[in-house]
Amino acid sequence: MCNACGFPTRPGHWTDAGADNAGDRLRLQLRRAQILNKILNGFGFSARPPGHGPGFALSSFTGRTALLPDLEAVWDEAARQLGHPLDPLDPRFTGSPEPAP
Amino acid sequence: MTTQPDDGRLRLTILGGYLGSGKTTWLRHQLFEGVFGEAHILVNEAAETPVDDTLLAAQSAGLTILAGGCACCTGKADLVAALRALCDARSRLRPEDRKPGQIVLETSGLADPAAILNAIGEDGILVHHIRVAEIIVLVDVLNAADQLRTEHLGRAQIEAADRIILTKADTVPDTTLATVVATARRLNPAAGIMAAVKGQTFPLDGLPDASPFDLPVISGSSDPILPTKIDIGEDVDWATFSVWLSALLHARGDDLVRVKGIFETPAGPLLLQAVRKSVQPPEILPPEATPRQNQIVFIGRGYLGADLRRSLDYFTRL
Repeated sequence: MCNACGFPTRPGHWTDAGADNAGDRLRLQLRRAQILNKILNGFGFSARPPGHGPGFALSSFTGRTALLPDLEAVWDEAARQLGHPLDPLDPRFTGSPEPAP
Repeated sequence: MTTQPDDGRLRLTILGGYLGSGKTTWLRHQLFEGVFGEAHILVNEAAETPVDDTLLAAQSAGLTILAGGCACCTGKADLVAALRALCDARSRLRPEDRKPGQIVLETSGLADPAAILNAIGEDGILVHHIRVAEIIVLVDVLNAADQLRTEHLGRAQIEAADRIILTKADTVPDTTLATVVATARRLNPAAGIMAAVKGQTFPLDGLPDASPFDLPVISGSSDPILPTKIDIGEDVDWATFSVWLSALLHARGDDLVRVKGIFETPAGPLLLQAVRKSVQPPEILPPEATPRQNQIVFIGRGYLGADLRRSLDYFTRL
């Protein structure tokens, strides 16, 4: 696998589709990290692009950081540390139309 | 079905259905009529001794028997090896000799087609050589009532189908047939339903109204499966949607029987398809073939359709 771009790799995670050049891929990765943080911050996690390829670096509030290849691995790792999966249909995401900051 | 460009991959049709639902009979007739062209047939038998091969060999381009293990669990490695061998043989042909190929996999009656779909999607070689064209599931109308009432597997098979074919349709009165149709619709509202008698397929028209069988809880969730269509606004970009959907499938994958739709991305309109937790590698559609509209259908249970919209709104607004 090429270390700089992570290609070719195992069959890409489905979320890798939708960007067919390096610029789009990078943009998508940065934007995804933003969105991820909006879900994860409430649970004491943060995510950022690892800086050298695809995937994310997921840090917990203790500073423990894991390098993960794709979104699915991020959800797996977060669920493993939390003890339950992060559910986007959790009342905190669906309940009040104006969520508390 | 969307017509897709020939991308050089082999098309795979998965033929599933409960034990004795008439898979071989149906397939034999379809081969005789040339529906699958010169397809290579893979037959999986859970039992050690194959019996069906002699029936099918005459009409197919090639036949492989996978005996002794159901391809969705114990025989998975055999299935992957057999499919790889087919891909390998094809890759050795000169490009000009390579015809658009087809494979038909007749699963054992004990297989969950969704698990087979998973196995192919997870394999680093097969995913580049094989495209799953359709999952066809056969349901025996004579025994459907009993099977669906007691067997989780029978329901899982129907839920995974793109097309459902009710076999032995001539053996029951129209009212029973209508009830089976209603039950199958409830389990899988997205699939097309047809009937077949001795392998000959015909559409279902003029059936009386009927309500579905009462399906008791077998394990876990008993809520009926409902479709929810979500129109995706222009403010939702692919990055947001893919993060949200991957989280949703991770948390609720077992309840989401199917997710299907088209999403506009920087690379072009993407055809998204998921069966439970497994998402097929999305395909980019030719831009002119699709109306520019982001619409995703969720079919599942255990959540409110409105909550899906609210949750997606929440993440879009952030």
